[in-house]
Amino acid sequence: MTEDAHAENGHDGLPPQTAVKRWLVTTNHKDVGILYIVTSLFFLVFGGVLALLMRVELWTATQTVIAPGAYNETVSAHGLIMIFFFISPFAFGFANYVVPLQIGAEDLSFPRLNALSYWLYLFSGLLFGTSFFLGGTFSGGWTMYAPLNMPAYTPTVGGTTAVLALMLFVASVTVSSVNFLTTMHRQRAEGLTTLKLPLFSWTILLTVWMMLFAFAALLAALLILASDRIVGTVYFQATEGGSLLWAHLFWFFGHPEVYIVFFPALGIMAECFQTFCGRRIVGRKWFIAAMVLVAIQSFFVWMHHMFLTAISLEIKTLFMATTIGISLPFDLMVFALIYTMVKGKIRYTTPFLFSFGALVLFIIGGITGVFLGAVVLDYEFRGTYWVVAHFHYVMVGGATALFGGLYYWYPKITGRMYDEFLGKVHFVLYFVGFNLLYFPMFVAWETPRRVFEYHQSFVAWHQLASIGGFVLAAGFLVMFYNLYKSLFAGEEVDGNPWEYASSAEWSVSSPPPFENFPGLPSYGDGRLRFLTPGRGGEVADGGTATGDDALDAAADPATESDRPQSDGGTVTAEAARPEIARDETADTALPDAEAEEEHPDHASYWPLAIGLSAYVTFLGLSGIRMDTAMYPALTGVGLVMGAFSFVGLGRESFHVPEMAVAERWPFEGVENGKLGMWIFLASDVVLFGSLIGSYVFIRVAYGWTAWHVVPHDPIPGLINTYLLLTSSFTVVLALVAAKRESTRGLVASLGATVAFGVGFLYNKGIEWQELFHEGTTVGSSVEASTFFLTTGLHAAHVIIGLLIALFMIAQALKGAYLGEEGSRKVEYFGLYWHFVDIVWLFLFPLFYIL
Amino acid sequence: MGIDPPFGKGLVNVIVEHALHSGGADDIRTTFDIFREIFLVFLVIGTAVGVVVVAYMTYNAYKYRDGNGTADSGDVSRPELGELPSGSGGGKKLFVSFFFSAIIVVSLIGWTYGVLGYYEEGPTEAETDEALEIEVTGYQFGWQFTYPNGHTNSTLVVPQDRPIRLTVTSDDVFHTFGVPEQRVKTDAIPGQTTKTWFVANETGQFEARCYELCGSGHSYMTADVVVVRQSEFHDWYDNRSAAENETQADDDPDTETGTDTEGRLVGVPSVTTPNHATEPTTIEP
Amino acid sequence: MRKIKLYTIIYVVLFVFATVQVLVEFAGFDYWTGLVAILALSAVKAVLVAGYYQHLVHEPRSLTALMVGSLFVALVLTTAAAFSIM
Ligand code: HEM
Ligand SMILES: [Cu+2]
Ligand SMILES: [Cu+2]
Repeated sequence: MTEDAHAENGHDGLPPQTAVKRWLVTTNHKDVGILYIVTSLFFLVFGGVLALLMRVELWTATQTVIAPGAYNETVSAHGLIMIFFFISPFAFGFANYVVPLQIGAEDLSFPRLNALSYWLYLFSGLLFGTSFFLGGTFSGGWTMYAPLNMPAYTPTVGGTTAVLALMLFVASVTVSSVNFLTTMHRQRAEGLTTLKLPLFSWTILLTVWMMLFAFAALLAALLILASDRIVGTVYFQATEGGSLLWAHLFWFFGHPEVYIVFFPALGIMAECFQTFCGRRIVGRKWFIAAMVLVAIQSFFVWMHHMFLTAISLEIKTLFMATTIGISLPFDLMVFALIYTMVKGKIRYTTPFLFSFGALVLFIIGGITGVFLGAVVLDYEFRGTYWVVAHFHYVMVGGATALFGGLYYWYPKITGRMYDEFLGKVHFVLYFVGFNLLYFPMFVAWETPRRVFEYHQSFVAWHQLASIGGFVLAAGFLVMFYNLYKSLFAGEEVDGNPWEYASSAEWSVSSPPPFENFPGLPSYGDGRLRFLTPGRGGEVADGGTATGDDALDAAADPATESDRPQSDGGTVTAEAARPEIARDETADTALPDAEAEEEHPDHASYWPLAIGLSAYVTFLGLSGIRMDTAMYPALTGVGLVMGAFSFVGLGRESFHVPEMAVAERWPFEGVENGKLGMWIFLASDVVLFGSLIGSYVFIRVAYGWTAWHVVPHDPIPGLINTYLLLTSSFTVVLALVAAKRESTRGLVASLGATVAFGVGFLYNKGIEWQELFHEGTTVGSSVEASTFFLTTGLHAAHVIIGLLIALFMIAQALKGAYLGEEGSRKVEYFGLYWHFVDIVWLFLFPLFYIL
Repeated sequence: MGIDPPFGKGLVNVIVEHALHSGGADDIRTTFDIFREIFLVFLVIGTAVGVVVVAYMTYNAYKYRDGNGTADSGDVSRPELGELPSGSGGGKKLFVSFFFSAIIVVSLIGWTYGVLGYYEEGPTEAETDEALEIEVTGYQFGWQFTYPNGHTNSTLVVPQDRPIRLTVTSDDVFHTFGVPEQRVKTDAIPGQTTKTWFVANETGQFEARCYELCGSGHSYMTADVVVVRQSEFHDWYDNRSAAENETQADDDPDTETGTDTEGRLVGVPSVTTPNHATEPTTIEP
Repeated sequence: MRKIKLYTIIYVVLFVFATVQVLVEFAGFDYWTGLVAILALSAVKAVLVAGYYQHLVHEPRSLTALMVGSLFVALVLTTAAAFSIM
């Protein structure tokens, strides 16, 4: 309701929520959160229908309704959709909506990038959907093992489309990781130290850190895969470890992914247990410590998925140990949740039931996981329904809590209560259906995975499972009906419908106002208050709610937020930092007239345009080896659209001021833009690290010294090193010039950078040309493949850098980027460019000398 | 639903078998025995832990339900809106439970680790007869077995009570070779070899199959495993040689073996699994 | 000006090190000695660029930690994977 009011005021520059246009241009985190939730539920239905299709096929022990190839597509698409396009985006819908509210931020640090994440996600999902119509989607399982993932074995265009769709999805995840990390580290309300974050925010913080690194490794794997499929490199079909290389890269991502999927669910369980038991969590610090430990350790267990491969016994032992190690912190978390119920005042609301159910399911999933940790048992369980049952108990168990979260925040998001009775019906159908579906799989565990023909003796168990699947699905019909009906008929709620909810999202109206808070949130003296920065020393009215006032305010819509109140404490707190309050906060935290001139608009079409261009480009790329002109044409059109959109995004004025006062550990003194760039570079380090790691791995498998270095002599490489080093130096000069406000110096230095960069590419072009002439092409050997792909991706980074530099030159000519403030963009560009330089410093010896 | 035949497999199977099957007369510890023992212990302890924990949870959820009165007694402090998040006490209980669960997990896995070395290496030569070394090659969609004398076969014919050592690889994509009844499994990876072993205590016909998705014929990627008495095996093996390999495609040698010996065991022509019936859709790059 | 001087000195050092790397290759050392030397030179160059051109030395240590952390993640993947098949 408040949103509409704002819109009429032209306050946020956005059309009302009832207009389609709003959803296309919005950058507000709450809108984006809703978009994520709705889209992910659509993919739940998509993946769910595929699952039911499989359950129908598995009704009998022989192949009946689905053709063999189609079954493989179904099982692969189901896995990929559920894991990538449903479960994480669903959790990130909540994260988008709730985290800024919980930490006291007005929005994410980079709202347009947030919208971009969403559009990239949506279009990656659509691209995945499109793959079904291009000769059939990818059919090699969600693990995409090599070399089955090679075009020789999975030849359809759709297979390639699916791989590219995943790449696009990774792009979305990376953008959103950078955004969330910057936000969560730099925009916490005063007094809300990292350790004090609400548990849901904690789990998201850790999830995002894991995502940043894990998805970078996946990106490396997908880039190589796409290159093998499109360009014709031969990494994964190389008999020298190609197959194992995929397994390493994939599981290096895949294991952290398990926790990426599960952590947000854990956070919701923690929130719901606390709220509905009316108890603060037991052993909070240990709970957090356990999660941090798991998040770190998740990168050191991946080879437990490879116990049956040719890896050595020593490494198996090592990874068995780390695997037990990682299971222990979970014990602690489970017990912490259980003990939180003691002395509670437990209300069996739908969100609590789902959280409680999730914990039960997770316990079963965890116990059966210990079985898999015992290597000897794992040898037998690998590739059977034991694994299928186990990971569904863990992951869908986690999803259970996410559905709890949907009910928990439904009143916050819509301002209306869901129907409690229907909610309970959903829970019963869900819990019964779930166990009927997955428990029989433990009993019939000897059924091999991903088959549609199995031993007759298991038929009854599989039929039970299929029935369970349909019961579960029926539960979702109830849920969708409930959500839809309550949108109109639900009882209206005030700020906080739940007794004992404590985090900040409940202290504002439902749905929250556009800028989230009636003032700058602060925990400065131990409780949430909203500070009202005054102008000219006068104390402005506003929702200053302290302690119980906050409760009252939230509980009574009439007095909510616009209740005039002056609070002595606030005034003093105010006076303590008048400078900041006036200079910066005024336009961030406060809806006042001046602010509107600063950033009149929260609307941008460009994120959508970029998403669409990416879709067109990738669709074109996936069939570019076909004999039709259509695919190359699509690629070209997409690229042009993309260039246009990026320039549009770059030229749009969209100023997001930083919070005046905030907790910023551990990145005090690094402004948002710079931190975002560094975090992005950290993921790029893992990307290039994984690519170089792949090279090292294949070379070790091949025999390190038996390897042939592709370029004949290191001199062209050395010249390129000189060129790139010099271009780095000129970027340094550009920054100095920008700070000195010398447009000429800036343009000249950037121009020199471009010149050296072009020289680098030209030199490389000559070198490649010669190699091609001699018959050394991307696919002629693994040596050649690693050389061309790794240095080629580096060259792509150079090209992107050059395009940015050209754009900056054009802007600089108009007088941009001068002074301390203005030069920041030059600095960020420099960080990127120097990074590209550093990568080359390693590629040069590895690919030219050694 | 009772435990009637269709339900006889799986978990129930393991437990029943454990009770009935007291191991062969011989003293080789087979992978089957090891798996059975470990699985049983895990099942018992796992179930016990699960039941206790879930029961305790449910009990608490019931006991401390709103309106039960338990909640309102005492001076429990409840979360308040707008407070800085903090925790409740109770750390000691937490650590005690954690400690116990950790002990259970670590000792269970530690115990299995003790057997891992043996499981990997197999019985030593001193303990048993000389092992029979067979190379296994997976392909889309079948298995090929190569004997030390160069003979290749599409059925795995092995002697009873003698360690069989398999060296497994693949000709095309990633497969996983497994014979569930013998509890033996290992990956078949192109360009790599993996090793495993088993000892069959009983004669009979079993099924080997693939456990890693490898294409449209994955569900059908099986091979027969025939265990015969040692003397029969020698009769069969001594009449095989590399020269005969050409005929391997049509499964002939195996049916022959069967007629040579007790037809009941090995003579049954292999179950008509359409090994090559399903061709991969298209293999045009 | 002082800053530019520093940047220039670093530039020269980087330039020289790159040259030395190639010279090491032609100097005929034992292969593994050469490998260690060449990679060590690359590492020094990288630290110089990151420390001064990207001015990490003047930033909060947390940024350095972030970069070291991500490098560590990549190294774990590389070494453990390579070790698993040795
Ligand atoms: C959040 C929800 C779910 C997630 C994250 C999920 C995830 C997965 C994954 C990753 C796979 C493995 C795919 C592969 O082997 O390539 C899989 C397989 C499967 N899932 Fe789900 N799933 C979910 C829900 C469901 C539901 C609701 C059903 C049944 C109605 C279901 C039935 C199956 C079946 C039958 C398989 C095939 C197992 C096999 O042959 O290996 N899943 N799922
Ligand atoms: Cu894992
Ligand atoms: Cu297979």
